[in-house]
Amino acid sequence: MKKTIIILSAVLLTGVILHAQGDTQKLQQDVAKLDNATSVNDYQQLAAGFARIAESEKTQWLPYYYAAFCNAKTGWLNEDDPDNIEGYANKAEEQIKKALSLLDTATQKKELSEVYCVVSMVNRARVFMNPATYGRQYGPPASMYIQLAKKANANNPRALYLDGWEKFSTPKMWGGDKNKAKELLLAAQQTLAGNISAGIEPHWGKKEVDDLLKQLK
Amino acid sequence: MKLLKLPDILFILLLLLGVSSIKAQTLIRGKVTNTKKEPLSDASIILKNTPTGINTDSAGGFSLPISVKGKQVLRISSVGYITKEIDINPQDSVLYVDIVLKEEGKMLGEVVVSAGSFEATDKAKGASLTPMDAVTVAGNGGDIANALRSLPGAQQIGEQEGLFVRGGTSAETKQFIDGALLPNPNYASVPGVPQPARVNPFLFKGILFSTGGYSAIYGDALSSALILESVDLPDKSSASLHIFPQDVGAGLQELDSKKKSSYGVDVHYGNLQFYNSLVPQKPRFFHGPEYLESDANFRIKTSKTGMLKFYTNYGYNNTGMRNPDIDSTNLLSSFQTKDQNIYANLSYRDYLSAHWKIDAVVAYNYDKNTITNKLENQQFQQVFIPAYPYNEKNSIINTESNFAQVRAVITRTFAHNQAIRFGAENFYTNTNYTYNDTTTTLTGNTTAAFAEGDVYLTKNIAAKIGVRAEHSSLLDKTVLAPRISVAYRFADGGQINAAYGVFYQQPDITYLVQNGTPGFAQATHYIINYQKKANNRLLRIEAYYKQYNSLVTTNPAVNDNGKGYARGVELFFRDKRTFKDLDYWITYTYLDTKRMYLDYPSEIHPDFSTPHTVWVVAKKFFPNINLSANMSYSLATGRPYYDMQTGINGKTFISDHGTTNMYNDMNLSFAYLFTMFKKWKEKDFSGIGFGMNNVFGTKQVFGYNYSYNGLNKVPVVPPATRSYYIGLFMTFGIDRRDDFINNNL
Repeated sequence: MKKTIIILSAVLLTGVILHAQGDTQKLQQDVAKLDNATSVNDYQQLAAGFARIAESEKTQWLPYYYAAFCNAKTGWLNEDDPDNIEGYANKAEEQIKKALSLLDTATQKKELSEVYCVVSMVNRARVFMNPATYGRQYGPPASMYIQLAKKANANNPRALYLDGWEKFSTPKMWGGDKNKAKELLLAAQQTLAGNISAGIEPHWGKKEVDDLLKQLK
Repeated sequence: MKLLKLPDILFILLLLLGVSSIKAQTLIRGKVTNTKKEPLSDASIILKNTPTGINTDSAGGFSLPISVKGKQVLRISSVGYITKEIDINPQDSVLYVDIVLKEEGKMLGEVVVSAGSFEATDKAKGASLTPMDAVTVAGNGGDIANALRSLPGAQQIGEQEGLFVRGGTSAETKQFIDGALLPNPNYASVPGVPQPARVNPFLFKGILFSTGGYSAIYGDALSSALILESVDLPDKSSASLHIFPQDVGAGLQELDSKKKSSYGVDVHYGNLQFYNSLVPQKPRFFHGPEYLESDANFRIKTSKTGMLKFYTNYGYNNTGMRNPDIDSTNLLSSFQTKDQNIYANLSYRDYLSAHWKIDAVVAYNYDKNTITNKLENQQFQQVFIPAYPYNEKNSIINTESNFAQVRAVITRTFAHNQAIRFGAENFYTNTNYTYNDTTTTLTGNTTAAFAEGDVYLTKNIAAKIGVRAEHSSLLDKTVLAPRISVAYRFADGGQINAAYGVFYQQPDITYLVQNGTPGFAQATHYIINYQKKANNRLLRIEAYYKQYNSLVTTNPAVNDNGKGYARGVELFFRDKRTFKDLDYWITYTYLDTKRMYLDYPSEIHPDFSTPHTVWVVAKKFFPNINLSANMSYSLATGRPYYDMQTGINGKTFISDHGTTNMYNDMNLSFAYLFTMFKKWKEKDFSGIGFGMNNVFGTKQVFGYNYSYNGLNKVPVVPPATRSYYIGLFMTFGIDRRDDFINNNL
């Protein structure tokens, strides 16, 4: 009987491990795919995948974080199609709020910083719907969350990137500064280069930073 | 090793069975489509509460192996569609399921009926108009109505304020603020000189310009309604000032610390004497033009959804001018208008419960206007000549009018943005009209009741069906006006709208004080339109037909046997995408209209209409030099003009007629933005605005005036060929520079 129980436990345990590994593997795979995503289609496919993982891993912040990031990024990619942003922004907001609720904001500062970056991106996506009107409402929170992200982790290259993007894209009279943008983006580039471990931890940004730096030349 | 006992074997067998049952897979196959049977790729299919899931392929198909038997929940989701959960109970090795996902409301939204109307709201996305877009058209002089002339349907009438829409006069367009009529949107008229608007155009977060087929909850406008919704609480306290040679002013908005209420005051004063000494004007102004305007407001958030708003303004204008008398070369015709106007508007809205909403407003307007006409000699001494036409050239006309309105609208909302709206309103008017020493007093009440339903047949088909009953005590008549409009949206987002409606309007007070009893004038509108919005571009094409009946005629006595028609096609295209940082729109208006009204002897093209009008409006911001540039260019074919003479039978006839030359007008305005006091706690947002109207200095002729005998024909032209402005504006606390860029004289 003892043996039976051992066998039984072993079988069950394997099942649990396999189960968990399945999700982790899937997450790993999708995060790897994210490194090469470029189009709305890529990001939407991944957003659906991450949402699916989140559905079964309801206590993990990362799947929600990635799902939200992909939807926010879709909003950014649709900057020239402003009628087609709000749905993605709404979805991203819902998901990033879930991610935030799963964090211990007192101790998980690094994670918090990543989440704030996406919150900022969601707000920025809403500005794209019509900068003249939505800018007044969503522009200030978009900047505020970048600052919060930097406060939580001063070295977060994604916060540096978003800050640089903002300095790059804002007209001078409203606080834009191309030199400052370059400075921030170079700092982001450096941090990203020194941190190549491509696990499931957030590590996106290289492509975005490089693209923007090219435009600054 | 001891042999396993039977119960153990059984147990293991059971376990193996269990394991094998996990391994035994069911393949769920199927297709995901939307309600239009189009396949949805990248939709996600998940076995609920498990990591098992897959995305659909490009044909919407999927096959998902699952290894659990028994009742399960399959969850299907796709961005833009309502997530669906279906129960499955896999028994066989293959289970087929076809899934239809409904479009999510938030993505495309419910279709909004939009025949006949241009809506500018602060919620506009992409290439839809915002109030700021609408009111920053170069050369509009801070007048919403002028700004909207750059939209299709409006005529370019340079000698008069107001909106002339689709063959209608400016009196056939009414303006409403938060549901209440604004009886005098502009300063008292001066012949040949358009007068500025009284109300600051930046007061509004929503502007709906209906060029026809408007809702049953508004009435007494034959052609067009301009429906304005004022802003709620400001984002922040702010102060502002502006200094232009034509006008100086200051204002302040104070938001309480809990963001529950705010108040504000504004004052500005303008006198064009100085400007006119620099830029000579054709009429010789002996007074002003002088304007004083002050307004005040408070707004209180009474609950989470409740809002109480009060707005009042006081306006004074005094303009005196002399022109050569048309009937005599050595005499002068002097005109002076003095006007005082007070307007007050108190509105309240709130949800009474989850599904019941109330919108109520009371408004009051008082206006006192004195017009003095004099015939003068070259020494400006008044002369009296007792023969026609000179005996009609000395007059004093006093008009004192009171207007009050009470209105309440109750809305019952249902699912999917459906609603039923009903309400009633009463307009009270009291006018004392004094011509020289003869006073006529007219007091009347117009009562209206209306009901309207917003019906959504499907997500892509919507209708607005309404009816309005109006009773006028002055006319002693009751009329019933049905209105209906429908919209159908295609899968690609394009939309077809159609509208039908009957509209009534009471004749102007000046005709009611004369003998004769005209009734309500009537117009029937038929409208069809197509519009599509995508990728920061908007295209709109609209065609319409209008039938007029019972228009006021004065030939020979006041009656209501006028009639006419108007038909046309209009085009609007806006593009914010093609050129970086450049926003432009193009408007084309075709109008064919004839009417018999006033002293017209028969149905003719009215002198305020022209067949073709084109507008190009462009706006560009140069971020590197902090400069914003606005340009508007309009081109219109000539307008007809007539000399009406009275025959011996007392009836009028056309003794001379013609068409003016082409009208074209190019306006430019610029604003250079900067901050002077960067170190201040509430730093300033400042700008220098400058602009020029009719840049090319083309000769604009709006029509001709004739002497009584028809021998002297004088063109009606603008007071000056070009007009200019330059000035400084500053705001503190909140960046409101945009508000000033075009809001000046």
